Amino acid sequence: MGWLIDLLPLSYTDAVVVIGAAILGLTSGVLGSFAVLRERSLVGDAIAHAALPGVCIAFLLTGAKDAGSLIVGAAFAGIAAAVLMVAIERTSRIRPDAAIGVVLSCFFSLGIVLLTYISSQNNANQAGLEKYLFGQAAGLLERDLVVMAALAGASLLFVAIGFRILKVALFDADFAGSLGLPVRVLDVAMTVLLVVAVVIGVRMVGAILMVAMLISPVVAARQLTHRLRTLLPLAGVIGAGIGIAGALLATGSELPTGPVVVVVGFCVALAAVLLSPGRGALWRARHVAAERRRAAFEGVLLEVETAMHAGPPPTVAELRLATGRPRAQLTRTLRRLERAGLLRRDGAEHRLRLTEAGAAAAHELEQRRDLWAAWLEHGASLELPDAREPDPRDVRASLGDDVADRLQELAT
Amino acid sequence: MNDDLVIIITAGLTATACGLLGPFLVLRRAALLSDAVSHAVLPGIVATWLLLHTRAPFAVIVGGAIFAVLCVLAIDGLRSTGLVRSDAAIGLVFPLLFALGVLGVTRYASGIHLDLDSTIYGEIAFAPFDVWTIGGVDVARSIVVIGSIAALNLAFVILAWKELKASTFDPGFSQTIGLRPQMLSRLMLVAVAITAVTAFESVGAILVVTLLIVPGATAYLLTDRLAVMVALAVGIGWIGAVAGYWGAVVGDSSIAGTMGLVCAVCFALALLVSPKYGLIATAVRRRRRARATATALAAER
Repeated sequence: MGWLIDLLPLSYTDAVVVIGAAILGLTSGVLGSFAVLRERSLVGDAIAHAALPGVCIAFLLTGAKDAGSLIVGAAFAGIAAAVLMVAIERTSRIRPDAAIGVVLSCFFSLGIVLLTYISSQNNANQAGLEKYLFGQAAGLLERDLVVMAALAGASLLFVAIGFRILKVALFDADFAGSLGLPVRVLDVAMTVLLVVAVVIGVRMVGAILMVAMLISPVVAARQLTHRLRTLLPLAGVIGAGIGIAGALLATGSELPTGPVVVVVGFCVALAAVLLSPGRGALWRARHVAAERRRAAFEGVLLEVETAMHAGPPPTVAELRLATGRPRAQLTRTLRRLERAGLLRRDGAEHRLRLTEAGAAAAHELEQRRDLWAAWLEHGASLELPDAREPDPRDVRASLGDDVADRLQELAT
Repeated sequence: MNDDLVIIITAGLTATACGLLGPFLVLRRAALLSDAVSHAVLPGIVATWLLLHTRAPFAVIVGGAIFAVLCVLAIDGLRSTGLVRSDAAIGLVFPLLFALGVLGVTRYASGIHLDLDSTIYGEIAFAPFDVWTIGGVDVARSIVVIGSIAALNLAFVILAWKELKASTFDPGFSQTIGLRPQMLSRLMLVAVAITAVTAFESVGAILVVTLLIVPGATAYLLTDRLAVMVALAVGIGWIGAVAGYWGAVVGDSSIAGTMGLVCAVCFALALLVSPKYGLIATAVRRRRRARATATALAAER
């Protein structure tokens, strides 16, 4: 690790924290995927709370507040909690969230009882055991980094080797079982991996905030890909990025690392949820608005045409009465039609009249709609060699000219 | 009033308030909202301290409640994008609020004594010492406060019973008949948030979280009827309150912790011996079915 620390243009302690945050982000992104995709995102929460009785028992057994033994205690309690949770979920009708909640409150209650027992023992050494739940990144040592890196490397290697098996067990446990895979063992193995991630993170960001570290990279990555093969590395990279950015921000502004990393992670996840191309909430909202505008544009064009056929060119008020469109929408759409050169206003009464281009556009639109209607009515009798479903807006382009011509013949 | 009785009644009323809402949380797969709220109140406490320089219970409750409601609404908003599942939304929002709270404490409030134990994460053992005099009678504050929350929850659940039931089991149907399930679910989340915050202050966070989840989940193992489930959840909560207090006195231990453990024991018992869904009942049924199949096969041969 020494060379890596020397490589970074940071002070020794800052470099240790940044590297630690990167390792943590990478691991929690990859391992968290298995929890988030199974709707068990909050397993981390149960493991985090289980750390309290684990720490207490480790302290009772060793009688000392040695960081190593406490972390082992926390890890064992975390594994116990995780196994119990999986068992409750598998054997009863309790769903994952309630199973996590039950395990969480049992373990934490036990932890509090143990804590009162310890403090009644008058052991001066016991103060601050519960502070273990909130991390302390500044106290990170190079030795911790080596341990973190070893644990991270081992668990990532496990995921890489067992990728195909884990994937089947993740998405279709019944199918995996019918293939003869040890589904229960895999289930427990995936949860144990999560415990590893939480244990890695406990020193860095604290147990409670670890919950978010397992989730935010995965949520962000999930918005960008549909494939597990890309999701895992992507979540790892995003997690590492979150860790590095958060650690740098925190050391720069002298704030505790854990909370800053979590805030950065939330911002990244939120940005992905809002902005991801083709899927994000804002992107979708924009898409819907554009579709609405297009529908209004075409609708009003045809309505003006119909009105012109029925009588004298309509005024805006007449058109509004005939179509029942809201005033604002109509004004906006008419203005856009004018700007596109499809419409002009004539005379003192500002009667609406389609230009030549407008009439052509309306004609073409009508033809397209007729073609779609024809497809709906006669599409089945065409007996196309493949099961194509044309784009309703442009049947001709999606089916090809000869099919469209045949459709037109059938319709007339 | 006798101190023991005050503690038991306080815990029992908390159990009532939580038991009325818990089953709905369990059924809606949102059990962990209670834990989320318990962490999300931290920035509220810090903000109250920074703005008003007070740790008075009322101000702290209001500050915490604002952030608790913010938390549940943010979770609901994230979930309603359809891009993030409910559990992931919970796990994104509450650590954020908790982190903001920790940042606030370290940045602005590290000099003063503002830690979780002394402010909102109350301790039920102190309930008898905080007394209000109402009409010449001394009543513990916690009983009044939690009692009124329990009454409010009872009124909410009774008045909105049909709507809650429909929107819990079949949101699509309740939307069709015009019940606005989203509105109702937000209302319920707000009720959970306010219950949790108020109760934290008197009995401590972990007890509230336990009472919101464990009795509801236990009742879910015992019955298929919603009304019975709610009643059972309240009853199990009371068992936890009474037996837990007795256990804590006998074992000289943490009251909230022991009450939580009693609830856990109830859950374990239900998991084992529930007549319909228990492990034993399922095993017996499976064995019987296997034997019936075996005899049927033998008879055919």
